[in-house]
Amino acid sequence: MSLQKDGVQKDYADVEATLTRITSHTGVQGIVIATHEGSVIRSTLDNIQTQQISTLVTQLAARGKSVVRDLDPEDDLTFLRIRSKKNEIMVAETKQYLLITIQNPNELQKGWI
Amino acid sequence: MLPADRRKEELEKKRAKLAELRAAKEARKSALDASRRDSSATDSTSERRDLDDLVSSLVGDRPVSRNRSRDELGTPSSVSSPLDPHVLREALRAPASETARTEKTPADTPAEKPRPTLVSADFVFFDVPPREKVMYTKEIQTETIDFPNADAVEGPDSRSSPNRDAEPLAAEPPAAKTPEPETPPPEPLTEAERKSILSSETFLNFFDYSSKLVERALNEPYDFMTDYAVNDDRIIDDSAGKNVHRVCSFSDERWTRNRSVADCGWSQKHPELLLAAYSKNHASVTDADGVVLIWNLHLRERPEYIFQSQSDVTVAAFSDFHQNLVIGGTYSGQILIWDMRAKSRPVLQSPLSAAGHTHPVYSMRIIGTQNAHNLLTASTDGLVCSWQLDMLAHPQEALDLVHPSNLKSDGISVTTMAFPYNETTTFWVGTEEGSIYQANRYDRAGSKAGINGLDTYNAHYGMVTGLDFHPLSGPADFSDLFLTSSVDWTVKLWRAKSASKPSMVQQAITPLCSFEDADDYVYDVKWSPTHPSMFASVDGSGRFDIYDLNSEIEVPTVSLTTGTGRALNKLAWDKEGRRTALGSSDGLLYIYDLGEISQPRSDEWTTFQRTLAELESR
Repeated sequence: MSLQKDGVQKDYADVEATLTRITSHTGVQGIVIATHEGSVIRSTLDNIQTQQISTLVTQLAARGKSVVRDLDPEDDLTFLRIRSKKNEIMVAETKQYLLITIQNPNELQKGWI
Repeated sequence: MLPADRRKEELEKKRAKLAELRAAKEARKSALDASRRDSSATDSTSERRDLDDLVSSLVGDRPVSRNRSRDELGTPSSVSSPLDPHVLREALRAPASETARTEKTPADTPAEKPRPTLVSADFVFFDVPPREKVMYTKEIQTETIDFPNADAVEGPDSRSSPNRDAEPLAAEPPAAKTPEPETPPPEPLTEAERKSILSSETFLNFFDYSSKLVERALNEPYDFMTDYAVNDDRIIDDSAGKNVHRVCSFSDERWTRNRSVADCGWSQKHPELLLAAYSKNHASVTDADGVVLIWNLHLRERPEYIFQSQSDVTVAAFSDFHQNLVIGGTYSGQILIWDMRAKSRPVLQSPLSAAGHTHPVYSMRIIGTQNAHNLLTASTDGLVCSWQLDMLAHPQEALDLVHPSNLKSDGISVTTMAFPYNETTTFWVGTEEGSIYQANRYDRAGSKAGINGLDTYNAHYGMVTGLDFHPLSGPADFSDLFLTSSVDWTVKLWRAKSASKPSMVQQAITPLCSFEDADDYVYDVKWSPTHPSMFASVDGSGRFDIYDLNSEIEVPTVSLTTGTGRALNKLAWDKEGRRTALGSSDGLLYIYDLGEISQPRSDEWTTFQRTLAELESR
């Protein structure tokens, strides 16, 4: 009754398509997909930036995760958002991987409909 | 671990110091003993000798040198550590020697044994337990990976963009020094590893979930850090907010191309969610026939959920009483239930048997309350079935609607069905022939189950495409009014005959009013849920008309054309009556915001009553 792959074929091509769509969003500067140790799986930025971001942000996310766990052992970090003057770093985190997005929020359209 | 090392170091230092002190003491002691030796005293048996001397002194002899040596002894003994038992004895001896000295003179009397006055001396024994150092380290969940020989990882990487194995060798040594020297930099993944991760199921699920989160977060147009004090040259066009304007349109390259929207609806529980059911994609054979997409207003680029089915979904709705369920009726007559928590295939479906529908299901309604609700479906062969949502194996009741209108057969072909507000036993159906009938679900005093053949609402010349009863929304009750739309280019307003007073004779009921402004088939008409005199209709030329009966009866108040000119199939108002979703035949789902006109004023109800009276008097 249940199919192997859920009927909705998710595959590498979809990942690529979604990545291009996200990067083409206004203000998004880049995306890095990394593991918890900091190894980069996929990135849309250049090498040096990618390395910097992956090491620094994974450590930050690990720190954030330990803070959340210390405050409540049953809790876990799901999303981390850091706003600076020039950028916004968003980290979506699960057990194995992290999705790091850098965007410039000043380019957002204003005026909610 | 550094703190442990430090502790070891400190312990070592302490031990060294202690040893040093002991050595110093030993040295002093040896010096002392040496000096005592010089003054004719031996080391090893010196204590014994002293005691003997004391005794002998008490008895008689008292070598003077002894006292001197003892005096010499007395002073250094006070300097050295009090823990030494040797010193203790010396200290004890010191007052003893004092007393002995004082009693030197009467030592001549050997008979009298002067009792040495023993003074109890309080010695404070310093028993300091070693200070416990509480070391408190919290480890993070990651493991520190030792940085291996980087050359081994290099491998046959000669491809372009995602490959950076050459670079990180240079970048990593500085990166290793920068933050903390605790975690060594991670080893870069090989290309093969990366590819395998990218295709793995866990990664794809993770990516799906997190990319949705990120896209929703990215779509937030309100910047919460705006500084209102700063002068801004940006011009905001505010006028658009008041008029009817398009908010967005939902479509997906993969899932909505070459399909047309068969049905659309809003969620009661989450006002930002809406669904659209799509028909078959004729261009692609491998894709599933029926697709239902759940869209989120905050996530415009992709659907929240994708549900599939084996046959065309012709009608779909969110379940009012279960927040995770979506119910659909198909072209094959099956009833399907999808769950948002589950995969994209239906979790429950009715079998393709003669017990259920065997014709396309074009109308569906959930009636009842939270605890006692039924799903009513009507198919084009005139069969109306009532289902329990957890048991789709066979319908609870099946009612075949027959009406001797057609010369050849009794059956009627139901295209739409609607229940008046809060009514569960009687409903109205619109048929392919253009007639509208009232039907009862059960036998009642005075009326049988099935079509009420006595009242006929015959005014349309073509198939009835939409039938909608007035929702109960305000102080006045207009719930016996209903609108119908048809392919004869008209929309008609009727007043339903009350079911409680069944008529005895054949009666033809005429509409109150007919709206003939359209130039094409009118595909759907719906009342606004909040404004009593407003309704909207969509037609085959892509026109979206909004009628406000309190202001204009003949023509629509607002009439818009969606850009492409393709036919609009369905229309749905959201719960507050502020937005409408329009499904078009090219697979796009348009969302229009109606602005100010959608909000009723307080006197709208009374005005509408007057309007109705005026219409009836014509």
